[in-house]
Amino acid sequence: MKYILQKLGFYLIAFWAALTVNFFLPRLLPGNPVDIMLAKLAQRGPVTPEAREAVELLLGTNTEAPLIVQYWQYLGKLFTLDLGTSVAFFPASVTDIIAQTLPWTIGLIGVATVISFVLGVTLGMLAGWKRGSWLDNLIPVTTMLQSVPYFWLALILLFVLGGMWDLFPLNGGYNVYETSPGWNLEFIGSVIYYGTLPALTIVISSVGGWMLGMRNMMVSTLSDDYILTAEAKGLRPKRIMTTYAARNAVLPSVAGFAISLGFVVAGSIVTEAVFSYPGIGSALLNAVGSNDYSLMQGLFLVITLSVLGANLLVDLLYSFIDPRTRARS
Amino acid sequence: MSSTLSGSRRLGLAAATLLSVATLALSGCAGGEGASNDGAGSDSTSVTVFNGATGTISENFNPFSSTALQPTLGVIFEPLFWYNAASDDEPTPLLAESFEWNEDGTQLTIKTREGVKWSDGEPFTAKDVAFTFNLVNKTPELNTTGLSATAEATDDTTAVLTFKENSFMQEPSVLGNRGIVPEHIWKDVADPITEINSDPVGTGPFKVKDFTAQSYLLEKNDLYWEEGKPAINEVRYISLDTADAATGALLAGEVDWMSSFLPGLEQILSDNENLSYVNTPALTASIFTCSNEELGCEGPQTDPAVRQAIYQGIDREQLNALAGGGFAKTASPTLVIPDRDADWIADPENTETPANANVEEAKTTLEDAGWVEGSDGIREKDGERLSLGIQTVTGYSDFISLNDAMSQQLREVGIELNPTQITYNEWINNLNIGKYQLTLESIGLQPSNNPFYAYEKWYNSANTTPVGESALNNNTARYSNPVVDKALAAARATNDETVQKEQYGIIQDEIVRDMPYIPIYVNSLLTEFNTERATGWPTNEDPYALAATWKAWDNGIVLKNITPAE
Repeated sequence: MKYILQKLGFYLIAFWAALTVNFFLPRLLPGNPVDIMLAKLAQRGPVTPEAREAVELLLGTNTEAPLIVQYWQYLGKLFTLDLGTSVAFFPASVTDIIAQTLPWTIGLIGVATVISFVLGVTLGMLAGWKRGSWLDNLIPVTTMLQSVPYFWLALILLFVLGGMWDLFPLNGGYNVYETSPGWNLEFIGSVIYYGTLPALTIVISSVGGWMLGMRNMMVSTLSDDYILTAEAKGLRPKRIMTTYAARNAVLPSVAGFAISLGFVVAGSIVTEAVFSYPGIGSALLNAVGSNDYSLMQGLFLVITLSVLGANLLVDLLYSFIDPRTRARS
Repeated sequence: MSSTLSGSRRLGLAAATLLSVATLALSGCAGGEGASNDGAGSDSTSVTVFNGATGTISENFNPFSSTALQPTLGVIFEPLFWYNAASDDEPTPLLAESFEWNEDGTQLTIKTREGVKWSDGEPFTAKDVAFTFNLVNKTPELNTTGLSATAEATDDTTAVLTFKENSFMQEPSVLGNRGIVPEHIWKDVADPITEINSDPVGTGPFKVKDFTAQSYLLEKNDLYWEEGKPAINEVRYISLDTADAATGALLAGEVDWMSSFLPGLEQILSDNENLSYVNTPALTASIFTCSNEELGCEGPQTDPAVRQAIYQGIDREQLNALAGGGFAKTASPTLVIPDRDADWIADPENTETPANANVEEAKTTLEDAGWVEGSDGIREKDGERLSLGIQTVTGYSDFISLNDAMSQQLREVGIELNPTQITYNEWINNLNIGKYQLTLESIGLQPSNNPFYAYEKWYNSANTTPVGESALNNNTARYSNPVVDKALAAARATNDETVQKEQYGIIQDEIVRDMPYIPIYVNSLLTEFNTERATGWPTNEDPYALAATWKAWDNGIVLKNITPAE
């Protein structure tokens, strides 16, 4: 119990530190939201000198409150889940924007991460079990794919599968021409269809890591004495592979998996930019481009929460799965 | 402002660097098919517009809001008159039929159009006009044009605006830059500042049919006042994140109208007979100089002779070929657009910038001012090297090429340029507070083609501040000249164009000599169309409106004039 409380306390402090960084970091950026909004206004027509005052009033940025006061206000508002109003998407609130974009990102990147983990671990297990097979020879190829810059790989696949062969749509989250969001088969089918190519790129570029890690753990586990014992007892090879070897070999991968789940939200930026996918990554790009402090804070909060949450989960889980981690404390 | 171009330029760059090969190849295989948005049915024409929207779209059809979705102005709501930035025509009457000022410019009487209906069927009257202007006047958050007028509808077709002082120069923003809203709906709006107006009732040719965060659809307003218009049934707006996506969508026939600088445009379009483009240059790409030592500017560029020498020493023909794709047009040292507004240039000598560099002249200018050649070829004066920093935004590929080419050209006259690239946010901040020696920016669109607005904004000492304080996006060169200020005051006090032109002549002589903003060329403004579903788009021969998809008001004109393709 003491162990768990200690962990929780640590995470609480880490969370507070992250919130503080979230507050100050955007404000260190050059420029301010008013300039950016004026520039956006100018995109639609002439901007008069008086426009600035109007925009400052509108955004409430002409307050002269010192930074530290603003900081306390920010912390106070967080407790009531009031994340403020977005500048880039004015007058929409930050919570609205997050609610709109988060499901897309979790859906796409989350599912893709799970698929690539399951696939990678399974292939790695088989490769480790039968060393020197064709599957084993596949590993250098997949690790090479992993080392290719992701955006480049994604663009090539987009070009080949979306452009040249016209198998997948080039951009977007669903077919905006023919379907509209709702719980109907047409829309869900469209979402899956539009998500396939981005998901595929993520799987291709990350499966190699899981495969290699699992394969190597599998190899070292297979040389353990208890495997020999199991074989001597005459157990079926399939049972030895899954229940005896893989179960132990997968432990480090599970830890890695939980952490990579935490980075689902943060890691989506490039994918979403390449595929014009309507998730949280493109919202973050917009927020940074507009010096949209509130939205940046809100998005960083989500990212912080997901990373910390996933880590906490691993920590707690591990203390149950593997008693050695608990023993020392 | 170059921000006007930023969207398209950024897209252009990304296309060039990431996928130029791929997009070119795409044109061969995916182009011209474009059956993907014919889903609406055979007897209804639907066009798709990409106006630079990226990521999630946030619903906002409030015509007063700074962040209103772009078709709000012009497509859904209409102004009284429309000012065509692509020509020097008189303003076109939309919701108004005529207007008249009183002698001292304090009262503006507007006759409104009869027979106009709001999209909910209620009649439009002068009362709506008066209500709109009164609402702006009493809500400072919405007053982006500095309007200080009270309005009154004296009868159903007459609205009278009363100003506190002489306000001739408010004319284009009152008449051409304010969407009129229906009183019967907006009088009940609790907070016009944050209202998103999700079911807008306007007089424009289209109304909202469907909205989602990824795309929205407008449909024809059957009650539109101009007979037979619009001819197309639906307009869809979509969001795309990158240049590759935009180019790909255009070539695949998924987008009918967009404005991007596409590298190799001619070649891309030559393979697709349904695609065409229009080039409507309207923004003068210029070198902005922090010109005023008294207000804190530092460096050799505070010497007018240096600015003159730069003006004389750059080869604009070469710059257009290297950076402008050959699409740019000749600018004028008066910063008036010569193609469109030559009438406003008092001295014909000042009509156009020189096409080629005059190295000898530039050298003499510098010699006369005491800049002598140093050992490394760079000139010096009192121990100060003629070496200047020039800023532009990371990713603005054409501006980056300009900087590189100009550095080489100016080396010949003994000027060293040191180009730097910074983020957009930092760049605009530096520009506003005067933290630069030279920087690349565009002289943007003004409320009307009368040069007053540009001169007032960029040259009036009242619109500048010392270095370190924000010059409010205005006179960022910190230029200050009492002769110019006096002429501006005289031009402001009249709406007699002959008197105004005289005053502009005085201003033009001063600025051509002092050159705080050094014009390079009038940058291209490229807009691409697909004629498969709809025809009648503006063309290079007949640019009847500024076709850029980001341009307010003009969009409504384009969309109501295009017709379904046969």
